[in-house]
Amino acid sequence: MIEFIMNGLKVRAEEGWTVLEAARFYGLEIPTLCYNEGLTPWGGCRLCLVEIGERPKAKLVSSCTYRAEEGLVVRTDTKRVWTARRMMVELMIAMAPGSKQLQDLASQFGVTQVRFKPKNEECILCGLCVRMCAEQMDGRAIGFQNRGHKRKISTPFDIRSEECRLCGACIYICPACQLRCQGPQAETVLCNSCLTMDPSCLDHFDDLQCWMYDAGRCGTCVREKPTAGK
Amino acid sequence: MKQYRTHLLVCAGTGCVSCGSFKIKEALEQEVRKRNLQDEVLVIATGCNGFCERGPILLVQPDGVFYQQLKVEDVPHLVEEHLLKGRPVKKLMYVPPATKEPIPKMMDIEFFKHQRLIVLRNRGRIDPEKIDEYIGFDGYQAMAKALTEMTSDEIIAEITASGLRGRGGAGFPTGKKWQACRREKATPKYLICNGDEGDPGAFMDRSVLEADPHAVLEGMVIGAKAIDAEKGFIYIRNEYPLALKRVEIAIGQARDYGLLGKDILESGFNFDIEIVQGAGAFVSGEETALIASVEGRIAMPRQRPPYPAQKGHMGKPTTINNVETLATVPNIIRRGSEWFSSLGTETSKGTKIFSLVGKINNTGLVEVPMGISLRDIIFGIGGGIPDDRKFKAVQIGGPSGGCLPQSKLDLPIDYESLTAAGSIMGSGGMIVMDDKTCMVDIAKYFLNFLRDESCGKCVSCREGTQRMWEIVKGISDGKGRLSDIDLLEELATACMDASMCGLGQTAANPVLSTLKYFKNEYNEHIKKRKCSALVCKEIVSSPCQYICPIDQEASSYIALIAQKNYEEAFRIIMKDNPLPSVCSRVCHHPCEADCRAGESGEAISIRSLKRFVMDWADKNGINYVPEPVGQNREKVAIIGSGPAGLTAAYYLARKGFRPTIFECLSVAGGTLAVGIPDHRLPKDVLDKEIERIRNAGVEIRTGVVLGKDVSIDKLLREGYKAVFCATGAGKSLKMGIPGEDSECVLHSLEYLRSVNLGKKIPVGKRVCVVGGGNSAIDSARAALRDPDCDRVAIFYRRTKAEMPALAEEVDAAIEEGIDVQFLVAPVKVVTKGGRAAAIECVRMKLGEKDDSGRRKPVPIEGSNFIYELDTLILAISERPDTSSYIGEGDEIRRHGENIIIDEETAMTTRPGVFAGGDNVTGPNTVVEAIAAGKLAAETIEKFIAGQPVRREYRLNRPSVYVQPWILSEEEADKARRPERKHIPVAHRRKNFQEVELGFSEEEAVQEARRCLRCDLETEDAKKAIGASK
Repeated sequence: MIEFIMNGLKVRAEEGWTVLEAARFYGLEIPTLCYNEGLTPWGGCRLCLVEIGERPKAKLVSSCTYRAEEGLVVRTDTKRVWTARRMMVELMIAMAPGSKQLQDLASQFGVTQVRFKPKNEECILCGLCVRMCAEQMDGRAIGFQNRGHKRKISTPFDIRSEECRLCGACIYICPACQLRCQGPQAETVLCNSCLTMDPSCLDHFDDLQCWMYDAGRCGTCVREKPTAGK
Repeated sequence: MKQYRTHLLVCAGTGCVSCGSFKIKEALEQEVRKRNLQDEVLVIATGCNGFCERGPILLVQPDGVFYQQLKVEDVPHLVEEHLLKGRPVKKLMYVPPATKEPIPKMMDIEFFKHQRLIVLRNRGRIDPEKIDEYIGFDGYQAMAKALTEMTSDEIIAEITASGLRGRGGAGFPTGKKWQACRREKATPKYLICNGDEGDPGAFMDRSVLEADPHAVLEGMVIGAKAIDAEKGFIYIRNEYPLALKRVEIAIGQARDYGLLGKDILESGFNFDIEIVQGAGAFVSGEETALIASVEGRIAMPRQRPPYPAQKGHMGKPTTINNVETLATVPNIIRRGSEWFSSLGTETSKGTKIFSLVGKINNTGLVEVPMGISLRDIIFGIGGGIPDDRKFKAVQIGGPSGGCLPQSKLDLPIDYESLTAAGSIMGSGGMIVMDDKTCMVDIAKYFLNFLRDESCGKCVSCREGTQRMWEIVKGISDGKGRLSDIDLLEELATACMDASMCGLGQTAANPVLSTLKYFKNEYNEHIKKRKCSALVCKEIVSSPCQYICPIDQEASSYIALIAQKNYEEAFRIIMKDNPLPSVCSRVCHHPCEADCRAGESGEAISIRSLKRFVMDWADKNGINYVPEPVGQNREKVAIIGSGPAGLTAAYYLARKGFRPTIFECLSVAGGTLAVGIPDHRLPKDVLDKEIERIRNAGVEIRTGVVLGKDVSIDKLLREGYKAVFCATGAGKSLKMGIPGEDSECVLHSLEYLRSVNLGKKIPVGKRVCVVGGGNSAIDSARAALRDPDCDRVAIFYRRTKAEMPALAEEVDAAIEEGIDVQFLVAPVKVVTKGGRAAAIECVRMKLGEKDDSGRRKPVPIEGSNFIYELDTLILAISERPDTSSYIGEGDEIRRHGENIIIDEETAMTTRPGVFAGGDNVTGPNTVVEAIAAGKLAAETIEKFIAGQPVRREYRLNRPSVYVQPWILSEEEADKARRPERKHIPVAHRRKNFQEVELGFSEEEAVQEARRCLRCDLETEDAKKAIGASK
């Protein structure tokens, strides 16, 4: 067992646990998107960011890939973490405004504007489908192509793969092309019809001040009708 | 071993090879054989010398003579002269731009003199494909010492004590890295040499691998012994075939000599090296991505920890070092850590290799001690900026680095100082930029590189770089919004904070550092839609129109001339310029200076083309006064009938206002009428233009003096809704030398006015003009036309290059027989009976550069001389004279005599009173005055209408898109800029006939067809032209 500090609490974790696993064990909410318990952690969506270490050397790491270490100091909901998460949600929504999961995240984090031209690609390159195919279905029919802004997910040489058994697991696990959200408006690319978190405590404190460290669950800072273009 | 009297060392680095150095080597060998010198002279191909700018390079040893930019044709002559006759060939030597004197010896050249070679000690000296030569220069000694005399801990202790830090960029202490790997229990361990060098403009690793591959191998064996590895990899980019070949040869030779493989030097230590070729992804330079690539997977970084020292290649402890780091190691072991740590700064020891590229005279590879200043590298070793342009910034550390401005030039370079300044050491790429570089464009360039090279795993980096690129591209296209800068900063922070690996964490640096030091350029692009470096294509469109202060659509009327549609061309010209005939004669044509055709050949003769259209319209009786848009609007008073006043009045009249110009002289036209003599601007030409302006609805009252006959207060009381002061700069400055107040000393403006108004001032036989501006030349040429005058001289204290007058005017003056003497300054006026009889002058030489960037003239002691004369004309400079009408304590604020205005509105500190032209700027050009008049007309309208008074900035676009005229290749080759024609010199004396003649129709059309049509390169233009097809 190793011991470390999370949001000021002394916690214990099994050797080899990631920070995310430890947080979930203690019931602390950390949002994830490209993470799935049945698959290898990926660390691509950058939503599960947490702040580790002491300032000024503190840095943000993805908790799904970062192993808990003895004596580590972790803060899961600081202003810096929230600012980064909001930007990640904004960037991803601009890729796939139809994703209900992303719209929910936008609501949860109080993202009320998208300042980028929507791409409507219906894919956020989270790689869940690739890992699902390879690790759970033993298929390896799809993978990443290219790098940088040209990156996409496809079959080898863009032709139908013989490895594909049409099992549909890739579609099942996709957060972007399934479960469409009907809400988004063309102008704002956001739905924002659901509950929108607007934690005013971050204006005064560095960390969320939620009851029992249960970020975003206490409900006191949920706005019912968001003001557009905030 | 065979002895040779001379070694010919031909540089065979990639730079020189691409310039043909292997051909030079072949030719040298042939020539040596032909002259039967093969037993005395040996030709050797060496690694890169670093002075890549000057390739192909040949070094003759033992003389140390350095030849550069050789051609195969030069070889026979060189062999005969240097090797047979012992006379080094001057014309093939390096000539520094400053002194113009060839330098024979390599070590006397600035580029080489200040370098400190440790890693590159064998460059240009040994044949990298021969292990014996490396061994001959103490090669593999350090390895022998490490394997036979030292323990692993001793090696690590020595490296730690030396203070060596990773040369790949991050600067992690090498000893610590080795120690971490050594501590690990798991086996086997691996050592990887990181030769993946992907930054644009960087070639340090390539050069080391090409010039001295054995040094890297030796360093690897030492490192392997330190961490106890048995297997090593060298990761080389696919794009480096020569480096690959030389490393392959080196590994083969080392194995043959028992320096690699089993039981090296019978020490019982085993180590072998395998080459891995990378496929060219920039991100492979990141250590975890590189390991993935070595293992055969996609080069994608992963989360650290575990660090490679714990779990690296195949999950085993692995150390990754940069090429340069490993090549440094043998030197430390051989010469000791104390020696090494004596070089450099407190935190950064030893030397660092930089690749010096961009706008720099000496492009190449330099090795310098840490702590050297940027200035020493760029201006000392690098030889400064080509074409004497101004330094703007240096980009250090590749795409993830940052741009440092002039203020950081004295920064001593080490890891910490660069990071603190907002850049990084990186692998050592140094891209120098001059004032023709747009920093927004630079940020765009690097973001474009990064959005391609991001591995694409993290949203923050993949989307972040893409979106930042989109925003910066928008700004560079002139579509930026002010909120973009905040968004950029937000994105940059998120990208830095949220990304997993070093690439993403530093990807925002190009944006952040340019925003930090060059925010004004971003603001300029966004607010004014301007790019002062003339780089951003969508903003600049055609440089001729862009640079023109009055937005004349030069590209449009040139295109129309090419189509022989002169009437439309005339309309286009008249739209933006109420004084086109004047401009076509006296404008200083900045459009021609920035014409793109002039970059690789001759600029289009834009002013003459305009003159052609105006002459054509005049001949065919075509005139064009557009219908006013409004009617019977408010009265506006305009003081001064110079170009600014006339222009403001014209445009106000077109908007329906009732402008009245008050002119103190008896004629209208201001400087145009009384400051420029008829041989440049005939009276009737000016009068026709003024007539046209009157016809547009402008009233001109001459002989009304502001401050005496009228005052600003009175005008405003009388119902004029606004006053525009355009009184020019009519007061001549004094020189401050004894005797200048005596008789027969005239000021140029006074003289020119008398000439123009026909009140002749007798000047006598000998006239001398002091000064270098247009009024000096005008006075001199006017004096020459005086029937009594015999000879005229002009004295100017700087050289022709610094002369403010138009170059063609100076040439014409010299052609007419005026004795123009440069670098001469007057000391005193010699008087006889109260009259000036002579002038005493001193000769000058150019000294150091002053703040304006011009080299300051300094007197040469004892060079004084006396020049006899009948009249002395002083044309030093002028300043405005505004005291006569702006009293003390007036609301209108001034700086000295110059009126202060808000540049965005042309309004003075007193609401309703506007100013523009020379009384604001001091002596300036005609076209700038016209621009001031245009701006005033625009803002006065808004002021009177009660709208917010603000200047509007629009993207520079022509109002019509004209189909381009396509020249055949043959025609384009033949096309030349026609000479401007003038009346013969003999006809120019004793009369004021116009000197310059216009183009013939054929000449004009030919010249117009030479235009490159830069205006068609914008997206809008492509659309417009595409639609009209």
